[in-house]
Amino acid sequence: MVPITLTVNGVKHALEVEPRWLLADVLRDELHLTGTHLGCEQGVCGACTVLLDGRPARSCLTLAVTASGCEITTVEGLAKDGVLHPVQEAFWQEHALQCGFCTPGFLMTAAHFLENNPNPTRSAIREALSGNLCRCTGYQHIVNAVERAATIIREGDSHAISQD
Amino acid sequence: MAIQERSWIGRPVPRTEDRALVQGLGQYVSDINFEGQWVMALVRSPHAHARIARINTEAAKKLPGVHAVITSQEWENLRRPLPGMAPIAPPALAHDRVYYVGEPVAAILADNRYVAEDAAELVEVHYEPLPALSNAEEAAQDQEILHPSLGTNVVDRVQYESGAGRGALAAADHVVTATLRLGRVSAQPMEPRGIAAHYDPQNQTLLVYHATQSVHRAQERIAEYLGMEKSQVRVIAPEVGGGFGVKNGTYPEEALVTYCAVHFQRPIKWAGDRFEEFLSTYQEREQIHHVELGINRDGTLVALVDTYYQDNGAYPGGGMIVSRTTARNLPGPYRIPHLAINGAAVLTNKVPQAPYRGAGRPQGHYIIERMLDRAAEELGMDRIEIRRKNLVRPDELPYRTGIPDAMYDSGDFPQAFQDLLEAIDLSAFRKRQAAARQDGIRLGLGVANYVEVSAGFGFEGVRLRLLEDGQVLLSTGATGQGQGHRTALAQIAADTLQLPLDRITVVEGDTDQIQKGIGTFGSRTMIMAGNAARVAGEGFIAKAKDWAARALEAHVDDIIFQDGRFSVQGVPSVSLDWAELARKIAPSGEMLIHEDYFGSGTPTYGFGSHGMIVRVDERTADIRIERYVIVHDGGTIVNPLLANGQVIGGTVQGLGSALYEEMIYSEDGQPLTTSFLDYRLPGAVESPDIEIHHRDYPAPSNPAGYKGVGEAGIIPSQAIVLSAVEDAFQDRGLKLDFAPVTPGRLFQALEEKGGFQ
Repeated sequence: MVPITLTVNGVKHALEVEPRWLLADVLRDELHLTGTHLGCEQGVCGACTVLLDGRPARSCLTLAVTASGCEITTVEGLAKDGVLHPVQEAFWQEHALQCGFCTPGFLMTAAHFLENNPNPTRSAIREALSGNLCRCTGYQHIVNAVERAATIIREGDSHAISQD
Repeated sequence: MAIQERSWIGRPVPRTEDRALVQGLGQYVSDINFEGQWVMALVRSPHAHARIARINTEAAKKLPGVHAVITSQEWENLRRPLPGMAPIAPPALAHDRVYYVGEPVAAILADNRYVAEDAAELVEVHYEPLPALSNAEEAAQDQEILHPSLGTNVVDRVQYESGAGRGALAAADHVVTATLRLGRVSAQPMEPRGIAAHYDPQNQTLLVYHATQSVHRAQERIAEYLGMEKSQVRVIAPEVGGGFGVKNGTYPEEALVTYCAVHFQRPIKWAGDRFEEFLSTYQEREQIHHVELGINRDGTLVALVDTYYQDNGAYPGGGMIVSRTTARNLPGPYRIPHLAINGAAVLTNKVPQAPYRGAGRPQGHYIIERMLDRAAEELGMDRIEIRRKNLVRPDELPYRTGIPDAMYDSGDFPQAFQDLLEAIDLSAFRKRQAAARQDGIRLGLGVANYVEVSAGFGFEGVRLRLLEDGQVLLSTGATGQGQGHRTALAQIAADTLQLPLDRITVVEGDTDQIQKGIGTFGSRTMIMAGNAARVAGEGFIAKAKDWAARALEAHVDDIIFQDGRFSVQGVPSVSLDWAELARKIAPSGEMLIHEDYFGSGTPTYGFGSHGMIVRVDERTADIRIERYVIVHDGGTIVNPLLANGQVIGGTVQGLGSALYEEMIYSEDGQPLTTSFLDYRLPGAVESPDIEIHHRDYPAPSNPAGYKGVGEAGIIPSQAIVLSAVEDAFQDRGLKLDFAPVTPGRLFQALEEKGGFQ
């Protein structure tokens, strides 16, 4: 067992892990953050996507020991004080999820994408989501949701600016 | 339109399920952990067909963290056939022979999956490989019989004949013949299968969390296998991460997990991984059809003769339903006076077949739609025109297709097709296509029509309970896997009970919450549980009136229920709403509960037309979808947002099986596509934005007029894609006879036509 520290959704954890344990397994089994899902454990489907020091990463291809000292955001960390993140709100309103299993990975990918692309085209959204697989929705409503989230974020920002 | 404004049915309400799901708070089987649980991993056969000489488990048993290594050599009880799979079922663990790559041979119980997989690698199985059957048509010759007790590899035959059958071909002006094939596909829900069980020795009860589409059927199977009463077994389907048909049947893991939980009196959990999903979850679609279509010079269809073989894999699975449904779908929405259909489901050494979304509907439509394209070419007729000529007209409804019990009952097929062509703007497309070809760009148009036959057997139930705070708890056995039943059923109940949506909580998939149920598959839940919600609501109100009569000191016949309130006729000023009624009932210690069922033996017949435009790169054989238009009838729609989700989701899944997805097996039965890298699902970039035009003709066969919508999208997909790609190369005489048309397959087909020009 190896000692590591992970800061997950702003909370620091000191853990003892086996060197071979995946970050996804540590999040799910040790920290009980089961919103991060394992869809393929081959790095293809993207269901396990978390933000590792602010960037999307496959937690199924990341060893927990290599994430020691990193800041991690999981789907459980998206909402703040009971208020859903705009991507969460938009996925809900646009019916962008059915079974919900792939959803956390899409949300993390989309949240990160919109930070750097406030006004994306539909094809740019589709490109950004190309590392996540969904078997239920056919993606169309997911693309709608990311467009809607972009609008919510932009309007929120301009609202904030006009208040200043 | 005051009434419509008050109705919840028909409104695109965002789902009540989603607040938890978007926060990652949904609990799937893999998220559920029991105190002290052991985790199961399986040793699976690497051979498609082999004799097991011996198994050595000593090294695996010695590994720290391993609690048991189980084989059916030692555990004779696990040699028994699994329940619910006639006429031949596999054992929980293979003991003398294995019949497909992926068949479970030994089970490891350990502290965690890491240790369990380590142990699985230490199990030594000595196999004597046997020749494998990997071609259904050859296997049907019975030169080698896989299961001698059956006496044949043909596990099921389906035969239908109408009119003069094959004899009618002689009277047709032309007979068009073709051999058409469909590759094997895999459903691949994003959540792999999983099951966890906890036995309570004191009460002798078993609690099972199960990623299943049918908790009551699972309960029956588990009770039967373990020799327990059904009342001792509680099955709960928590969130289920997609099902598409393949989480519905008998699997060895269900028997193993529950058996071990009782035997060891320890909670046992198996959460399958993606590799196991490819090796062991039942697959579908693989068929070969030899077709003869009799047609007159004017394009009138005369006779369809089809002999087909379905590669059913090593065991029945649920594959017989697939081959029978294929037969029933062969006429599609077209008028064919003479039919002769002869289908065989054949056992081979592959993963068993079971219904996957569509379950024979896509296969049947693939055949008739492809044959119409071939016939049009033979006659020099337009592909659109031949369809127009043969679509069943509204004045012919109800229309008997010639298949027993199949009678189309509603809608207007030619109008839907016409609406589709107008939406596409056919003449403008043909001009654009010709102009594009001048620039070296190949565009193609595909069209297809379909009928979506749904439900038609069994029942489903709804149980309503008034909670103390006036909320209503609605339970059903129709376990969902993401369809949004909790919202849709609440919408129906809200209308009947005249309550706001948020006062109704729906629990699906818990055998403790409702006595009977069948489950969610074949697009049946709105038809069955939707109508049951209404029937149960009416019974619930009747019982509520009894309580209201007591509370209001009046005769029950004088109680009226209006605007969500109970009052005495003529005294509207004194009334009770549901919450007030609940408070009146509470002191009695009794509960207001009503359970009711709806059943129907008549299927519903949704229908529609799909059109797509593809753009094909002749050098790379890359196929892009430029446009996809659907005219869709789904009867009375409860929630348009959810219905669109079903249609779009189904269509894109279908595009996968038409363009990218194929389970490839080597000749000796080795699966060669066992990861998402090799078996490619459609992604966001490849998938189109789909236009849907709704035509909602209520189903005449159930009170609410609901029809199935879950399979509409996937039905025409393979037919339409091949049709569109052929159209792009019409001048080259390209003929495609295999779905999917992957870039590799298209490249080869074009090479045969002289390659890039």
